[in-house]
Amino acid sequence: MSASRLPDGGRIDRSTPVNFKWDKQNFSGFAGDTLASALIASGETIFGRSFKYHRPRGVMSAGVEESGAIVTVGRDDRRDPNVKATTQEIYEGLNASGQNAWPNVRTDIGAVNNLMSRFFSAGFYYKTFMGIPPMEWGKGTGIWMQYEKLIRKAAGMGVASREPDPDTYEHGHRFCDVLVVGSGPAGLAAAVKASLAGLDVLLVEQDFELGGDYLNQSTPEAELTRTAALKALKEAGATVMTRTSAFGLYDYGVAGLLERVTDHLADPPQHTPRQRFLTVRAKHTILATGALERSIAFGNNDMPGIMTAAAGATYVNRYGVLPGNQVVVATSNDSAFTAAIAMAKAGASVTLLDARESLPGGAAKLLESHGVNLKSGSTVLEAHGRKGISNLELAVKSSNGWSAGETLDCNLLMLSGGWSPVVNLLSHRGVRPVWDSQNLCFVSPGHDEPIQMAGSANAVWHTEDCEASGAAAADSAIAAINNQTTSIVVPATGGWESPIEPLYEVTVEGRKLKSFIDPQHDVTADDVRLAHQEGFVSVEHLKRYTTLGMATDQGKMGNIIGLALMAEALGRDIPEVGTTTFRPPYTPISLGALTGRGKGAHFKPLRRTPIHEWNLAHGATMTEAGLWQRPWYFARKGEGITEAYIRETITTRESVGLVDVTSLGKIAIQGPDATEFINRIYSNAFAKLPIGKARYGIMLRDDGIVMDDGTTWRFSDTDYFMTTTTAHAAKVMVWLEELLQTRWSHLKVHVTSVSEQWAGSAVAGPKSRDVLSACVEDATTVTNDALPFMGVIETRLKNGAPCRIARISFSGEMAYEMYVGSDYAESMMDLLWESTQTFDGCLYGTEALGALRIEKGHVTGVELDGRVTIEDAGLGAMVSDKKSYIGSALRKRPDLNRVDRPQLVGIVPKDRSETFKAGSVLCAEDKLEGHGEGWITAVTHSPSMGHWIGLGYIKGGYNEWSGKTVVAADPVRRGNVDVEIISPHMVDPSGERMRG
Amino acid sequence: MVESTPQVKRVSALAGHYKPVSSERVGVTLQEIRDLTLWQLAVWPDSLSSTAAQVADSFGIASVPDFCSSGTSGNISMLRIEPCKFWIVGSALSEIDSSKGAVIDLSHSRTHVRVTGADATTVLNSYLPLDLRERSFPAGGVASTAFHHVGITLWRSEHGYELFLPRGFAVSLWELLCEASEQYGLSVNDRL
Repeated sequence: MSASRLPDGGRIDRSTPVNFKWDKQNFSGFAGDTLASALIASGETIFGRSFKYHRPRGVMSAGVEESGAIVTVGRDDRRDPNVKATTQEIYEGLNASGQNAWPNVRTDIGAVNNLMSRFFSAGFYYKTFMGIPPMEWGKGTGIWMQYEKLIRKAAGMGVASREPDPDTYEHGHRFCDVLVVGSGPAGLAAAVKASLAGLDVLLVEQDFELGGDYLNQSTPEAELTRTAALKALKEAGATVMTRTSAFGLYDYGVAGLLERVTDHLADPPQHTPRQRFLTVRAKHTILATGALERSIAFGNNDMPGIMTAAAGATYVNRYGVLPGNQVVVATSNDSAFTAAIAMAKAGASVTLLDARESLPGGAAKLLESHGVNLKSGSTVLEAHGRKGISNLELAVKSSNGWSAGETLDCNLLMLSGGWSPVVNLLSHRGVRPVWDSQNLCFVSPGHDEPIQMAGSANAVWHTEDCEASGAAAADSAIAAINNQTTSIVVPATGGWESPIEPLYEVTVEGRKLKSFIDPQHDVTADDVRLAHQEGFVSVEHLKRYTTLGMATDQGKMGNIIGLALMAEALGRDIPEVGTTTFRPPYTPISLGALTGRGKGAHFKPLRRTPIHEWNLAHGATMTEAGLWQRPWYFARKGEGITEAYIRETITTRESVGLVDVTSLGKIAIQGPDATEFINRIYSNAFAKLPIGKARYGIMLRDDGIVMDDGTTWRFSDTDYFMTTTTAHAAKVMVWLEELLQTRWSHLKVHVTSVSEQWAGSAVAGPKSRDVLSACVEDATTVTNDALPFMGVIETRLKNGAPCRIARISFSGEMAYEMYVGSDYAESMMDLLWESTQTFDGCLYGTEALGALRIEKGHVTGVELDGRVTIEDAGLGAMVSDKKSYIGSALRKRPDLNRVDRPQLVGIVPKDRSETFKAGSVLCAEDKLEGHGEGWITAVTHSPSMGHWIGLGYIKGGYNEWSGKTVVAADPVRRGNVDVEIISPHMVDPSGERMRG
Repeated sequence: MVESTPQVKRVSALAGHYKPVSSERVGVTLQEIRDLTLWQLAVWPDSLSSTAAQVADSFGIASVPDFCSSGTSGNISMLRIEPCKFWIVGSALSEIDSSKGAVIDLSHSRTHVRVTGADATTVLNSYLPLDLRERSFPAGGVASTAFHHVGITLWRSEHGYELFLPRGFAVSLWELLCEASEQYGLSVNDRL
């Protein structure tokens, strides 16, 4: 076993062993280990299998950019695929497993794909869709249909749980002056400085420990600086969050954070959400997000035992793990020197291959003093080994590139092809990074966002310079927030003693190598060249064709190499080729976190009437009406919905019924100009509505189409009470407020929603007045004379509760709407129900309500669907021609006055024993095609008529179709039914019953 | 309409929706303030200073509260909820001439929930997108905001956060408040 836990050192807590499972076997590590560090310490090398070719993959990094050690954590309904082993903390009982492999990652049958790799090259999906030329041109779709299932099964990484997520998640909002992302040398320095200046600072760190690169360093000074900064932050009162990723930046200083609250806990406390999705609003943002080390493309560069140079040092310094004892470090820049020395200090034999031909003398001496064997002008051509690297073939610089060199034995290869500052978050703001040709990386350009890049995120390499860079960023933020102008010295970028040399891919003439640039999606250097040969020029197209950078790491490891190869193929420079746009999230976030608590019963807020519990206690089955819960029907023993609503309808027509109508919109309209206002919004006359009367009103939109209907009650010269439909309550309220605030601000009118203030019940049926008489304080107030049809009174119930009653009818029967303060609703229902029972009356729900109003031909939201005019709905006679009102001009447009417009009609089946469905298309008997002549909006069994009836619209209306056979076409459900068109007023057309 | 006390008791929207909670540490205390008396005074731009000042004065409130602010005297508070609209919490209003403005009883329209405790701000911020830091929303502050898609009124009184929830949504929002509070230790105060 080449990897081992070092006898001492590291930040792990050796007194706290932690037991966990990996691929069904027991392992142990220490508190402070990641899954990767603990498994490396235990000698594991293969962590996963690659996406397409099922090649064995090991740990490639020590952070979020990981593209090899991608595993599944948890099981059953808590299975979380595609977790990076390099960031997953271990905890007692952690259960992790490899993915994309069967039976396991060590022995994987799917590895046969590796032998057929030429079939899975760039554009595999595209070609499968389109067919492979020339013999399959045009057959693509057919081929796709044949192989889709197989391909879908084989594609993808990891398998998500299909069970409901048992965890809870929540949202949150945070506010601060300065948001600092990243707690490395730059971030800590920035946060301390801004806090000490009295600013409200929020520091977020994706890791479980604060310190960033300090944690990867072995010097006591680093630890001293770190702890001093943390102490200063605490004293200054800054808010510090660990395990929190800033995944996106948005307009106006908004940042999205994902806080992983319990993902690291074996036994999370009850009621604690698993993750929080936080929206931060910051005046200023400092991105101290660090830089990611790049790999190098060469043969088999994806093999287990190959990782970035900094990762190797991190495992030694932070986790006390030596990932290999025979180490080769291949670099193109100075940064790998400290890594090489760290490995040597930890006891490994180390050879450093520097692609550059000459090294500064100081560096060479330092390396040699630590026993590092230095080979300049050389790098790696191809790695060899069965399930991990065992030796490598050198590439040596020659006159025309590279030539093959000697072979070196090794069990760990550490790479540094340069560093890429994490500019992703700034990129979310639409700022395109620019190429820094000195440091060979993309950096932030000048921009006008209140965002500062600090430290290595701005290509500043040395720790002390990063600290200065963080402090300078804080100075900028302080000056901006305090509206000051100060001159701020920003440290220069870079900092390497000798310049970095471009090293993206190592090739030797005539050698065929499998060099990966995006290991997560198995994209090779050849794939990029193939894409170029097939005509792809734009980097955005290259990305989509090859899937380069489209895996869960969004190209953190491979994008720059891909761009460099594309540039080379095109004969251009990297800046000319450009980079793809980074988009949120920086690291993946779970769907549960996006949902928060808005799921299950709280998917949308439930709206309950004050009669809700009472309805339930009296046997209601509820239904949804928008957000409202309304009683649907009150089944008695042995009844289903059909029996119940038919009984409720009959009882109401013959005696009396009660229904909860609280959900109707209710708006108080008050002020000296209230009458004028109401007269302008309704299409029918309202100016002369007497006090103590209600009137049915129809309001139009500006374009002359019907918006809503309802009744408006007048209580005094200046006080009205408007009801709207349930569906349009909010829309009407907003509309009235808009009119008052924008068009008619001179009118002295206030509108107030009182939908929640008043609970309402309709009392309908021939016995309704008797019921009412028994419930009000003074029965003489509800006699036919005192309260005639469309009359309104304010009075009290017997129990003293103030109430308002209007004699209005939706059912067509003599009926009243009675309202009391919501907290008195149950007492009102108790009184009404007691009296109703003495008349063998009933409670009814929306189903019977529907049946009653369809029989009567009263329209609702389904008829007033935003397409119909007042004439279409059969209510044209009500319109006032003597005034101007909203919609009065545009309703006269020719198209709204065509005689062949669909008009409201009643519908009955020709064979009266037949039924039909709402939504059926009405067609002429001899023309069953297209959109037909009309449609059916509502249907019911009519107890009064003894058969099925419906309402709907048909071109030309009753006059055009009376006596003709029409077909209610419903080809995909019920089938076609012959129907007849009748007047929509099917019961009591003269209205005697409701006036009686 | 003059309010006189009916024989019948008012029934809260939350009746039957309290669930027993027990927690050693209490970070959040929820309390429903039952039998809310809430009246709205709406004035006209030209009667704003006179009418609002008269009403404030009649309750012993020193001055007309500024936008998004409130004034309190004893058990009566005056909240400015819109430029020309005020809520009076704790007292009914008598009718005024329509040339001065309009009054209306909204006592049954809202469910009044008080949220207090060390973690009250955090819990509210798990739903409300409002900056509730002391310097942005000090005691006396009033705001219209959104709670799980529902428009509510928030007031920071001397006691803590006072939420006025539309009655029909009260149970839904109460449940959400309880769910989010449990992690900090929830206490439901059932006494007035």
